[in-house]
Amino acid sequence: MIKKYSAEIVDQKLWIKQGDETWCYDVLDIASEGIRRKKTSSISPDKIVSLMPGKITKMFVKEGDSVVQGQALVVMEAMKMEYTLKSDLSTTVEKVNVELGQQVTLGQLLVQLKKV
Amino acid sequence: MKNAVKNKEIKTVAIANRGEVAVRIIKACEELGLATVLLHSEADVNSRAYRMATHKICIGPSPTSESYLNIQANIQGALAAGADAVHPGFGFLSENADFAQACLDAGLIFIGPSADSIRRLGDKISCKALALKAGLPLVPGYQGDDQSVSRLITEVEKIGLPVIVKAAAGGGGRGMKLIQDMKDASDLIQSAKRESLSAFGSEKVFLEKYLDHAKHIEFQIFGDCTGKVQHLFDRECSVQRRHQKIIEEATSPSLTDELRKQMGAAAVSIGQLVNYQSAGTVEFLLQDGKFYLLEVNTRLQVEHPVTEEVVGVDLVKMQILTAMNKFIFSDQDVRIPRGHSIECRVYAENPYQGGIPSTGRLGKVSWPEGPRRRYEFGFDSGDTITSFYDPMIAKVIVWDETRMRAIEKMIHVLKEAVVFGVHTNIPYLIEILSHEEFVNATMTTRFIENNFSEGLKSRHNEDDRRKISREIYKDMLVQKSGMNPNANASTVSSPWLTPWRNV
Repeated sequence: MIKKYSAEIVDQKLWIKQGDETWCYDVLDIASEGIRRKKTSSISPDKIVSLMPGKITKMFVKEGDSVVQGQALVVMEAMKMEYTLKSDLSTTVEKVNVELGQQVTLGQLLVQLKKV
Repeated sequence: MKNAVKNKEIKTVAIANRGEVAVRIIKACEELGLATVLLHSEADVNSRAYRMATHKICIGPSPTSESYLNIQANIQGALAAGADAVHPGFGFLSENADFAQACLDAGLIFIGPSADSIRRLGDKISCKALALKAGLPLVPGYQGDDQSVSRLITEVEKIGLPVIVKAAAGGGGRGMKLIQDMKDASDLIQSAKRESLSAFGSEKVFLEKYLDHAKHIEFQIFGDCTGKVQHLFDRECSVQRRHQKIIEEATSPSLTDELRKQMGAAAVSIGQLVNYQSAGTVEFLLQDGKFYLLEVNTRLQVEHPVTEEVVGVDLVKMQILTAMNKFIFSDQDVRIPRGHSIECRVYAENPYQGGIPSTGRLGKVSWPEGPRRRYEFGFDSGDTITSFYDPMIAKVIVWDETRMRAIEKMIHVLKEAVVFGVHTNIPYLIEILSHEEFVNATMTTRFIENNFSEGLKSRHNEDDRRKISREIYKDMLVQKSGMNPNANASTVSSPWLTPWRNV
């Protein structure tokens, strides 16, 4: 049971008002925690997974590319909003599992980076 | 005297301001059938006033010195758009006598007092000299021409601590410093001079004995086009943080009938001294049953709505009509305040992080409608709150029969209000309104300093909140993907916006 709430994602932040209180978190933070809890083994910095159901609108890397920490890898769109997924590692791209325009589900593995 | 003045025609009013006050002025113009020109900076294209104004002219880039404070840019913009009058709102150039004069010289009607009135009352030092002449009580202080730091320090010693340093040309708390220890005197005086120079273009300051348990009481005065000056009763604005007002109310719960009569008469007398025309405010400090003149603001005040609510007037329309030589107080025009009105200033800041400014794009914004609730705001959902200007994003004004009911009503509407995209001081306002001192109306100008100096402490449990957030996020995804047969058919355009619902 979820108590009555109002919520909205504004520029990658999830804003929630419940009762008298209003707060916000980074939406990627909240989304990735959910996935982490569900599939503990499958999430790590080398796995770039989709944090919401949506569409791949930009793919900046291909297999074998080297990437640096903070570099944008994929942009996905959930309805009208864009979310940029960045690398937490400086490494190379092992495998790209999706292509431009593809619909993806929550938690789907998009890009596999080489473990460091 | 009546009808002795010739009407002046105004068809188009230029607004030399932004945000909620620009919206307020546009609404008054619309009711009067006047066209409007918004003189805006590059940063303010996404704002309500921009969308509402008949014409818009960009007068410069975002920094205020290059746009809203630039006299020539404003005049040229007003002329280019074919305006015949200029309303300066509050802040920016509203109390700048040179601007009022420049308008006049360019053939534009300045909607406000004359340049001469602004000069004589607006400069705090000259105002004090006038008040002295009128026999008004003043706070002990120093207003001399010798502005050397060493002389100022000597004067601080003479007056006796605590002493407040104020910008002679200022207002709104900028250029104001409180000296509580002689060892800080030099630094604070110099800092006040610097702030004053950057905010108002003059580093002239004056010193005043700091009254440490005073109430801030002010009287709304208004001079009609025949020269008749009246007051429209009082407001109390004791809830201030660093000299910036947060909550204002009308009428003051702290005045006896006798004091109200005396202070009202004093306020009118200083207006009469300069043949004051249009709206103005005479500010007093009240301590131990004695009142002292603080300053005169030669403009519309931020908190003017609370007066409008209890007295039943439209001050902005009165200003415009006066500028047209049309507004005249009649002899039967006795206005008696009724009920109680409170205004809260909603600032874009994080109350749980010491009030640091919060900027960003506004998401959902919802002000709960209801009888005698009034919302003055300059930005809608989708607009961006930038760091260039004042962080005030809205004013919430309520009216009710008694002060207690007005407080309860205000707390209720603030709890119901939704603002996403930036943090606001709403939780802070609710705490203040619920505080015993505020409820009992015993608060002084040090109320915030004495009770809320630490800022707000958040009482939530971080792990619980994250857990709830995850559940809500999941619930939003379910709704979006249409798997929930009970999901409300939302009429709002954003697919991520979930209306209130019970799952």
